[in-house]
Amino acid sequence: MRPARWCMLALAFPASLAGQRTPREIVDHVDRMLRGNSSRAEVTMEISTAHWARSMDVAIWSLGTEYSLIRIGAPPKDAGTATLKIDNEIWNYLPRVDRTIKIPSSMMGAAWMGSHFTNDDLVKESRIIDDYEIDLSFEGARDGVDVWEFVLTPKAEAAVIWGRIEERVRRADYMPIWVHYFDERGELSRIITFSEYRRMGGRLVPTVMTVVPSDKPDESTIIRYRELEFDVGLDPSFFSLRRLRAGTR
Amino acid sequence: MNTLPWWRIGWRNLGRNRRRTLLTALGLAVGYTSVVVLTGLTNGIIDDMVENATSVITGQIAVQAPDYLPERSIYETIGGRDGVNLAPLLAALSNDPAVAAAAPRVYAGGLVSSGASTAGTLLLGIDVDREAATSRLLSALAEGRLPTAGAREVLIGRELAKQLDVAPGDELVLVAPAADGSLGNDLYSVSGIYSSGMSDLDNNYALLPIRTLQELVALDAGRVHEIALRVLDPWDAPDAAARLTTSVGPDAVSLDIRPWTTLRPELRDYATLAKSSMWILLVVVFAMAIFGVANTLLMATFERRREFALLLALGTTPRRIVAALLAEATALSLISVLVGVATSVPLIAWWRHAPLDLGSLMGDFTMAGALVRPVLRTSSPGGMYVLAAVALLATALLASLYPAFRATRVPPADTLAGR
Repeated sequence: MRPARWCMLALAFPASLAGQRTPREIVDHVDRMLRGNSSRAEVTMEISTAHWARSMDVAIWSLGTEYSLIRIGAPPKDAGTATLKIDNEIWNYLPRVDRTIKIPSSMMGAAWMGSHFTNDDLVKESRIIDDYEIDLSFEGARDGVDVWEFVLTPKAEAAVIWGRIEERVRRADYMPIWVHYFDERGELSRIITFSEYRRMGGRLVPTVMTVVPSDKPDESTIIRYRELEFDVGLDPSFFSLRRLRAGTR
Repeated sequence: MNTLPWWRIGWRNLGRNRRRTLLTALGLAVGYTSVVVLTGLTNGIIDDMVENATSVITGQIAVQAPDYLPERSIYETIGGRDGVNLAPLLAALSNDPAVAAAAPRVYAGGLVSSGASTAGTLLLGIDVDREAATSRLLSALAEGRLPTAGAREVLIGRELAKQLDVAPGDELVLVAPAADGSLGNDLYSVSGIYSSGMSDLDNNYALLPIRTLQELVALDAGRVHEIALRVLDPWDAPDAAARLTTSVGPDAVSLDIRPWTTLRPELRDYATLAKSSMWILLVVVFAMAIFGVANTLLMATFERRREFALLLALGTTPRRIVAALLAEATALSLISVLVGVATSVPLIAWWRHAPLDLGSLMGDFTMAGALVRPVLRTSSPGGMYVLAAVALLATALLASLYPAFRATRVPPADTLAGR
């Protein structure tokens, strides 16, 4: 209920609330913006690397941060391939061989379906505010837009892979502009930029996310939301190995 | 100023007390023989280790695309995106006199899964016949049989088989990110299980026929990541690699041809370190010999006090007395070297022909990732024959300096008068 309430408030009175919100609350709000309590999304994932470029149609169901189910609809070679995440565990279903494979923890750093996301990106279930100290580093106009900039530093006991995260958010409507991820040595590792803010599923959301790895600036993974619904009434039993194999509709 | 008489006197003095001369010479000869033979044994152990470490899988020379190492990207195949016409390239590489065999390989990273168990593995695509002639990995087959070319069969290590709980004939799923961006996956059957004794290999590798792996990861038949070459004497590999770089290198495709000394610098460094440790042995053995020889010679000069006193009284310069004693030491060391060579050369020749087998005392063991046989192979001590001879001569000369000095200080009048 909390995120939904925050969203409604944010959309209704963004400016008037700004003064009362802490950096922690703002970052948490942005973190949860695309998740809701439960959600269903249809996205197109466009991956481009130095060696190939491909586009996949992907359906995503999620419940809180604990559960998600991701199914590839196209291209035909990969159609039906699905990933189920429950808490810290990931299973892949491979329709070609009709087998389900649990991803060992040693492979969490590997790319998900050739994209610039890792299995780890799917698994990280904790909310960003639990693992990071959040400080406001800038407040004012950047490129003519009124923004906040936050620096997120991992808490001492947090088991996270990033050394630091920086985030820029529009003040007017709490829309994220970019997130920069730095590794443990303090070097920029990847940049996610957000664009094409539109109303979807009753909320204003960035409908395009672009991930660019810093060591390969010519490569990218672009996620375009085609459909997005919130609070679709899923419960944990939906996220089962049987569902992973059998499809969802 | 003829120096010849002093040589002759030195030589004759060796015969004055033959038993003492013989014992001293034997002492030096044993020092010489032990240094030379131990060097031969150590070189043998090192050569054995290098050969084991390189021949199990690495090969003595690896031919790769220039950008393949260190990232081992699946895209960096020999000849780039277009691949290469393999047969002529393999023939050209095998043409070098030092190269005994050549085997093409495809590498990929992936998951291997059976039932509820999944493990990350290195997938290695091999030409079974060529691989058997190039590396020893396939001879480690413990159960079942080798995979058949063209079949969807996989050969896995003992540890991996245990982890996945599979036996020959069982089914496996392999999943690997393919070169076209898709997720390659298919069903395979376990043809056999190998046990190399090297835990890294037995844990992490799955071997497939080369074409089968190329199909899984969407690579054309001409695209391989590596051609491993077998060179019978590992120490010939750097020269052979240099030759191949100039002979095959400039052809249509760009190649990096690297010997094991470059691919595995830690192994080369270890071998060099172990070989140079023989210097310590050399120094210790002959440092000990110095005192023994010095003691004997000192005794001999005390015995000959009257002789030296007479020589001095007759007007012999101290320099000539020193020359006589140094000549004596030189003659002694020449005898010792002759005895040492006469024992060590046949001994080494014998052990090189019939290595010492310690198999009855201990089982096989692994060292620095290499399988070591408990057979003590002996190699040529090389330059140590000469080095030890020089050290022996230096020892004898050094040891005679002090006794010679003492001989020149004998007071002629007192000594001759018996006082």
